[in-house]
Amino acid sequence: MSIVAHLPRRVLSLTEEEAASPPVMELTGRRRATSEERTVAETIYAEFRADPRHREFVLGCLNCGECTTGCPAARFYDFSPREMLQIAQNGDATTLWDAMQEKIWACCQCYTCNMRCRFGNDIAGIISVMRELSVIHGLESTRKVLAPFGRSLTLLMTVGTQVSSDMIQPDFFRDWGPFATGSDKVWDVGTDVMRRAIPSDVLHTTRSSWEVSVQTSLELFRIYEETGVLDMLRGLDPDLTEMLVDIIEERREEFEEARDRFRTELAGMHGPVATFMG
Amino acid sequence: MNPILVLGGGPAGLSAAAELAALGAEALLVEREAYLGGNPKRWHYSLLAPDLRPAEEILGPLLGRVEGSPKVERRLSTTLTKSERLEKGFRVTLKTADTVETREVSAVVLATGFDHFDSRRKFEYGYGRYPDVIDFKELEGMIHDDKVVRPSDGRAPKRIAWILCVGSRDIQVGNPWCCRLGCVVSIKQAVEIRQKHPEIDAWVYYMDIRTYGLWEDLYWKSMQEYGVKFIRGRIGQVTLAEGGAQLLATGEDTILSRPTEVPFDMIVLASGMEPGTGTKEAAGLFGLPVGPEGFLTPRLSDMNPVDSGSPGVYFAGAATGPKAIPDAVTEGMGAALRAFQYARE
Amino acid sequence: MLSASEIRKVVEERTQRQKGTGKKVVDVREEMEHLEAKGEIIIHRIRPENRPVSASTLFGWTKRIPTDRLWHHKSCGQCGNIPGYPASLLWLMNETGRSYLNEPHQTSCTAWNYHGTATSNPVALAAVAARNFHRAYETDHFPLIHCGTSYGDYKEMRKLLVENATVRTKVRDVLRGMGRELVLPEEIVHYSEWVHAMTPELLARQKHSVRGIVATVHEPCHYYKMVPEDAVYDENVYAGQRPAVPSGILMSLGATVADYSTWYDCCGFGFRHILSEREFSRSFANLRKIRPMVDEAHSDVAITSDTGCVTTLDKSQWIGKAHGQPYMLPVLADVQFAALALGAHPYKIAQVHWHAASAEALMTKMGIDWSTAKAEFREYLKALKNGQAPELLHPAHPEIETYFAVNKGQVLPEEAPATAPAEIVANGGGGHPR
Repeated sequence: MSIVAHLPRRVLSLTEEEAASPPVMELTGRRRATSEERTVAETIYAEFRADPRHREFVLGCLNCGECTTGCPAARFYDFSPREMLQIAQNGDATTLWDAMQEKIWACCQCYTCNMRCRFGNDIAGIISVMRELSVIHGLESTRKVLAPFGRSLTLLMTVGTQVSSDMIQPDFFRDWGPFATGSDKVWDVGTDVMRRAIPSDVLHTTRSSWEVSVQTSLELFRIYEETGVLDMLRGLDPDLTEMLVDIIEERREEFEEARDRFRTELAGMHGPVATFMG
Repeated sequence: MNPILVLGGGPAGLSAAAELAALGAEALLVEREAYLGGNPKRWHYSLLAPDLRPAEEILGPLLGRVEGSPKVERRLSTTLTKSERLEKGFRVTLKTADTVETREVSAVVLATGFDHFDSRRKFEYGYGRYPDVIDFKELEGMIHDDKVVRPSDGRAPKRIAWILCVGSRDIQVGNPWCCRLGCVVSIKQAVEIRQKHPEIDAWVYYMDIRTYGLWEDLYWKSMQEYGVKFIRGRIGQVTLAEGGAQLLATGEDTILSRPTEVPFDMIVLASGMEPGTGTKEAAGLFGLPVGPEGFLTPRLSDMNPVDSGSPGVYFAGAATGPKAIPDAVTEGMGAALRAFQYARE
Repeated sequence: MLSASEIRKVVEERTQRQKGTGKKVVDVREEMEHLEAKGEIIIHRIRPENRPVSASTLFGWTKRIPTDRLWHHKSCGQCGNIPGYPASLLWLMNETGRSYLNEPHQTSCTAWNYHGTATSNPVALAAVAARNFHRAYETDHFPLIHCGTSYGDYKEMRKLLVENATVRTKVRDVLRGMGRELVLPEEIVHYSEWVHAMTPELLARQKHSVRGIVATVHEPCHYYKMVPEDAVYDENVYAGQRPAVPSGILMSLGATVADYSTWYDCCGFGFRHILSEREFSRSFANLRKIRPMVDEAHSDVAITSDTGCVTTLDKSQWIGKAHGQPYMLPVLADVQFAALALGAHPYKIAQVHWHAASAEALMTKMGIDWSTAKAEFREYLKALKNGQAPELLHPAHPEIETYFAVNKGQVLPEEAPATAPAEIVANGGGGHPR
């Protein structure tokens, strides 16, 4: 049974408190920050300017616009890397806060701006710093933006891949599979058989991009625990995080059982298998 | 008194040699190329700023003073391969295709000049791949000969774009300095073309216009009298426009804050100035320091910009940084005077 | 066209100038040597057994591309929804007698998630990279990176680990906690660079002519925009002004590679957009890439060399039907195209049926009898459904590896349980060597 299959299709929803105090709209259409938000904005601004990457990524700007030239997001959104760099360089707490509500999420992270920038700025990088802060502070807007990522985050955190073939189903990512070709009913045999027709056993999985050994899963999760990723995620979505911890606990048990079983079978075992989390 | 070596036969070197002759000293003028006149001659510069007089009118009298003087020994197609400091002056080795000769000189003026930036290094503009992307030094020749046509098909362009600061003010190609002349020369070219061919549309893409001092007049007039169009924003890439018959210049109009994509028949790159090959070699031969940009550095760039700090060695022109012809000529005079004083002491 | 020596001068000049002006373009490989001498890291070196081939990079550096004894660093996207991509690569390795490991002890680079949701950080990314590097090292196989983003990310992380002592210490501690060490590969190698290095051997096995096929290339952004200095450039491809991969192999096989106006544009993947803002990805891919590829360049196929790009360009076209733009331009990875040209089975190996835009018209043009192959494949699917063992390119891993990343030098008893026997179609030296 797939790990993700028994997940509810979750939408990260507003808390009761948030629902009770809807955002205030000004006549201009611009939302007025609440005093609480202003405090958060000041904190974020201080953390942003103190991040060592700020000094390294933001050098200066001639406003030449070459960054925006190749920017895919600039063609479809009210967004430009030049503007983002200006905000990173010269903006105050309020402009940074405003940019973090929506604009930072328009960026495609393609790095065209970085390649072009004649000042040598790391624009895609500084946008990532803003995004990280928005996750760490669990901004309402960020939770909405990331709401559709429950399934892929689960996969990412537990086995370290991003999409799986069982996501590609007629009711979900409909145009990703061969359904799109219409007349070809090759999928009639079911996803499992389709996957077994791939000539590598490691790819005969439907619930992950490839088969990931239990040890590898546990090592990955350990990285997330020790590098603060789990804490970041907890700030964004505590429920999802607890569920991930549970899944990993199950894998850990699976690992222990297997170790007992194989230890009896393998006399000469040593190295990580014997010592890992021993 | 041994002759004074002038290395480089561009405007600065010509000026120094002519001035030395006027002072009564003997000048040994050494030039790598087979002709005198430097980059202006090499690329057939058309009109020169600030007065928009033909290059020949400016270089001509200078060349005349040098070529007509028995005091100036001219050595063309010759390079300097070795230099050795004597108690007074230097012993230098001069090399041509088939001769090697050693000479003693009493002082040295380095007027080794600049090279135009090789625009192939700015890959995104497709110079060297798309024939109708040309360098502005090539356009100088076209204007000079009144043959402004597309290299691809020999047809007259209807719309031309100039891209300023190609190889200047750009860390991606390693040249963060300003070339000082790209703006004024490009605008001058646009004016020349609009004067002769008002049917050609001229667009200049810029991030700053640096027509400093009195040259600002040209910038103003280019709009007021010649209808040159200026877009504030850089072109980030040049690709083939639909169908491949034109070039597509893509950039951001940074005033309007929106992407801009315009098809052009021809695109002109205002390539920057880099230290010349001779400048780099001279630094090695005379043991002189160069700055981070690779140009020679005067000991006191404010008080005495022609003094190298090494006794008997003087600088003139673009060897120490991007420079316009009037400045190069002035420095040639200053360096000649200082070299003469040193040699006579 | 510029001559080879002119190009050489141009790239050397570019490198020199950038070095001279303080931009951080130090050759990270030199720094790695210093760190190894101080005992801070281990360099996973390319050895003669890896049969390296030299290539030139943007900065004129020599990059050694290992061609043998490789550790497949698979891509989370391609393995999930375009499996013909890794399968074609494995098949090409079997055909050319190259050995490799394709094992379940690998995570993705997790950079898709980072660039999409930012629910991670550079220390975590560096630790993930280093874990996979160490795993490859302990198996004594050199990592070969399947994905453009993984390739870019791993180059960024390698730089970060070399330049930042704090991150290095932190990552080393994390690794030690799981019995691993900090290992950095001598080169970060993208699979398309392997293809580039193997070009002569691949050409020698070409079965179908591709003359007359017009291909447009989408260059994956993270291949050459993220850490540009050591991407492979070749003076014979685009006069050295655009990356040599994957265009080079197409030209060598005999296809025409056509230029188009939006060559530099990204595909529209966006990391976040492809999953949750699909109107953007679809619009961008169709309007900015597919349409110029078809209308301007009249191409028969779009070729790229990254997971996200194949996904976006292929799977965004279907919606075009609703807007009167039913282009359905086939989108393939360079290895799929090369495998087809070398006679690979279109369905069993190239797995073209996973793509949303059909490659059948293209295959007809290449002289491939795909309808017979398709009928065979249908029979094969039926047989699989009825319990037949699948055909594999390399031996299946033993059951113990479902749980443990078995170590180099570990003694496995002869009666170690294995999975159900599978018919091995591997030839040459392919597959697990241990």
